[in-house]
Amino acid sequence: MIAEVGLFALILALFVAAFQSTVPLVGAARGDAAWMNLDRPAAFAQFALITISFGSLMWLHVTSDFSVMNVVQNSHTDKPLLYKISGVWGNHEGSMMLWTFILVLYGLAVSVFGRDLPPGLRARALAVQGMIGFGFILFILMTSNPFTRVDPAPLNGQGLNPLLQDPGLAFHPPFLYLGYVGFSMAFSFAIAALIEGRVDAAWARWVRPWTLVAWCALTLGVAMGSWWSYYTLGWGGYWAWDPVENASFMPWLAGTALLHSSIVAEKRDTMKAWTIFLAIVTFSLSLLGTFLVRSGILTSVHSFANDPARGRFILALLGIVIGGSLILYAIRALALKGGGLFSPISRESGLLFNNVFLSAAAGTVFLGTLYPLFMDALGLGKVSVGPPYFNMVMLPLMVPLILLMAVGPLLSWKRGDLPEALSRLKFALIATLLAIAATLIFAGLSSHSVWAALGIGLAAWLFFGALSEWAGRIGLFQRSFSDSLHRALHLPRSAYGMTISHMGMAIVLLGVAGSLAWRAEYLEVMHPGESAMVAGYRIAFIGAQENVAGPNYTAERGTFIVTRDGQFVAELQPERRVYANPPEPKSTVAIHTNFVSDIYVVLGDPGANNGHVVHIFHNPLIPWLFFGALMMVLGGIVSLTDRHHRIGAPLRRLGARFRPPAIAVAAASPLAVEHRPKAARRWVYLLPLAGFAVLAGFFIWRLHLADQGITPSLIPSVMIDKPAPDFDLPPLLASDTGFKTADLKGKVTVVNFFASWCVPCREEHGYLSLVMQAGLPLVGINYKDRPEDAKAWLAELGNPFKTIAVDAHGRTGIDFGVYGVPETYLIDKQGVIRQKWTGPLTPDVIRDELIPQAEKLK
Amino acid sequence: MRSRFAALASLVLLMVSGSALAITPDEMLANPKLEARARSIDKELRCLVCQNENIDDSNADLARDLRLLVRKRVMAGDSDEQVKQYIVARYGNYVLLKPPFDAETYLLWLGPGILLLGAAGAATLYYRRAMRAPNKAPLSEDEIRRLAALIADSDTGNKGT
Repeated sequence: MIAEVGLFALILALFVAAFQSTVPLVGAARGDAAWMNLDRPAAFAQFALITISFGSLMWLHVTSDFSVMNVVQNSHTDKPLLYKISGVWGNHEGSMMLWTFILVLYGLAVSVFGRDLPPGLRARALAVQGMIGFGFILFILMTSNPFTRVDPAPLNGQGLNPLLQDPGLAFHPPFLYLGYVGFSMAFSFAIAALIEGRVDAAWARWVRPWTLVAWCALTLGVAMGSWWSYYTLGWGGYWAWDPVENASFMPWLAGTALLHSSIVAEKRDTMKAWTIFLAIVTFSLSLLGTFLVRSGILTSVHSFANDPARGRFILALLGIVIGGSLILYAIRALALKGGGLFSPISRESGLLFNNVFLSAAAGTVFLGTLYPLFMDALGLGKVSVGPPYFNMVMLPLMVPLILLMAVGPLLSWKRGDLPEALSRLKFALIATLLAIAATLIFAGLSSHSVWAALGIGLAAWLFFGALSEWAGRIGLFQRSFSDSLHRALHLPRSAYGMTISHMGMAIVLLGVAGSLAWRAEYLEVMHPGESAMVAGYRIAFIGAQENVAGPNYTAERGTFIVTRDGQFVAELQPERRVYANPPEPKSTVAIHTNFVSDIYVVLGDPGANNGHVVHIFHNPLIPWLFFGALMMVLGGIVSLTDRHHRIGAPLRRLGARFRPPAIAVAAASPLAVEHRPKAARRWVYLLPLAGFAVLAGFFIWRLHLADQGITPSLIPSVMIDKPAPDFDLPPLLASDTGFKTADLKGKVTVVNFFASWCVPCREEHGYLSLVMQAGLPLVGINYKDRPEDAKAWLAELGNPFKTIAVDAHGRTGIDFGVYGVPETYLIDKQGVIRQKWTGPLTPDVIRDELIPQAEKLK
Repeated sequence: MRSRFAALASLVLLMVSGSALAITPDEMLANPKLEARARSIDKELRCLVCQNENIDDSNADLARDLRLLVRKRVMAGDSDEQVKQYIVARYGNYVLLKPPFDAETYLLWLGPGILLLGAAGAATLYYRRAMRAPNKAPLSEDEIRRLAALIADSDTGNKGT
């Protein structure tokens, strides 16, 4: 019953969304106030319906209703309540429901706080929100219904992946989505402004706080994801430049740029076309992240189960939302020009430079993430773009940005004084040099410490630069103390917000520099009573206790005592857990932090004599990385409490009443003669659209391949048209003589790598006899198998091979380029590899590909 | 319909199984200098059967074989580059997490610079154009009042004629 209520509410919400996306829009176009004013009730109704639907799904999960497929697949009665709730969004269907719920939550916010907005702007923005909502609800209903029933209902569910049963990951998706979807506010208002052909300060004053809300949530979401990765995955790192991580980092970079450009749009009424463009790009990147994670287009460590059908739907949605908005942008952007003048050295220019670097950084992450896809599509082969690439290219983009971060806020609006600003940074410069010198003296001169010193110097520059800016504002040491205090108390909160966020960034930087330069690692088999020395700490392994019972797991718990100079520091108890449902292992890291550095202990596999593989890291300054991120978020929140930014702060009544007639005329007819753009300039605004069209082409191509079962993880062999490697392998069966490279000469041969432990090999085995029947010698190479297992397997399934050789350690396999058995090679008379098939052969492949190609070689 | 739903598992964290870090002490070389070199090579090689991990972090069987092979080559006196080339000869550039700079990756490596120049160029163009355009900033309150007065004046004037 509850499931049907949820589904019905969702269907109703689809209709309300359709209403919301059309009626207010038509009303705004006609200037019909009655129709326009239907936007708020529609948004309320939308929110109520989605709340009912999402609440129903949550209820089903909390009460473990196993007549619903989504609950069966992702829950279990023995799960703690927190994970029953977080399990709602720990899967594809539920996470889309959360996405939609947050979208309508923002829609509600517009109707509650946006009473004083110009009705046309609000009606159009809510209509755009309605369209996005319509698309996503339709997507859920058509491809990802979370309310599907299962009959008969099983007695219990399949449980949730243990890695997701963690507080960090319970709250990571809601914050991430609050961020992603929060950018839909800026987006909807951007589209509304494009339709109206007008961006005024009122627009920017509304968009800025909402962008700040989204930015805070996204920063927190990304930091949480990184923290989760750090303390649960046991690898000692926090960022792997994985496509899915990049998918959240791209909107963050673009959103940070948007945050800064909207300041200029609001305060100086300029950079409007650019701000609108960033609003579109930021939300598009959020949508792109949603698409990449769910479509199977890229290979990633963490992603949802992939389904090309869903991929196609989201791609169509992307095409409409992004393509549509870029078309609108290309048509209207030129009408948005104008605004305040500023000199090349000014606060505006500083923020423009900030945008240049952040955009280039977002573009670089985008390029690196999607490059493998482009290469593959153009038939240029497969490449991998991993952390070494990103670390290398992001550095030169980030360093100037951070250098500039200290200078920009010191420049005044319109016309800044660079020498004066730099002279105010004297103190920061001295602090930077001292930090570099201190690091080098403290850590000694090495390639590691030079990098660390530069990183720490950069952090000091930013930290003390931000501090100097604040000190300058309150006239510290230049005015009387009481005067400075008075000024400090009356400084706008948005100014404090900036100072805190920039200082937070400096602290993040310290964390990155410290952890990159001084991470110490220890990896050894430890027996009870033994101890390890890591970075001055003695870590003694007391022993491991088995069968420690948890709520839904049993664990092996290791106990370690950490001491320093004989003084007790901490007792650490890392665990190796095996969860009951699903029966999967999970290693739980134990971390001791003194808020400057972490001691991070991972208990590995057990060995002889109660020994365990133990992995210990000493991670200096990593805690600061997360503190810094929190400080950035705190800065954003402080800024949000600024009276000036208060969400829904009514427009200045006077300004609204005295809307200048000249501007209104221009807005009503954006193509009025005086604004008619030169045709030659227009093509510039078509570039983003063209870029997106090309990108969509790549995606369509990739989804098409995925439909044919060609996943991105399939790697073409580089061994084709190269001589088979040297090998000389012993026989599996006593009656055989073994097989070596020289045996390939003179006849066309098919070589098949197989193993008894390989499940797809069993699938293929029955068809292999077709090869010998076609008169082709089939040589089996038994790959990393136990001979007795292989023999039993052949006894059970028959022996289709002419001869079988044994590659016990897989070395010959590596020489052939084998990465996943079964693999089959076609080798010509000269002993040259001519073709390779990865994965199980099918009768079709043997008949239509293998045999004809072999015939040609004869 | 049901079978399709059954096939769609929930959030799968492929290959990041719960066990600890993949490299184990028994694989490591006795010489810490060589081992450190091998570790750094490991981190630049992609595990082929995993979704997106280096062979140092992966606990796949093939990753272990490749780690052992890396150590064998390091012991045999290969340079870091030679070790990587040894693996590349068998699996292609795909195994390199940092792709080489060649015809296929010019755009990848030059891309960030092009993007930065492009963004800077766009900003410069934008700046020039914006500064040339007439100032369309909203009128000040005072100006609005004066404008309104002027319009009112001309209205009464029209009536007069």
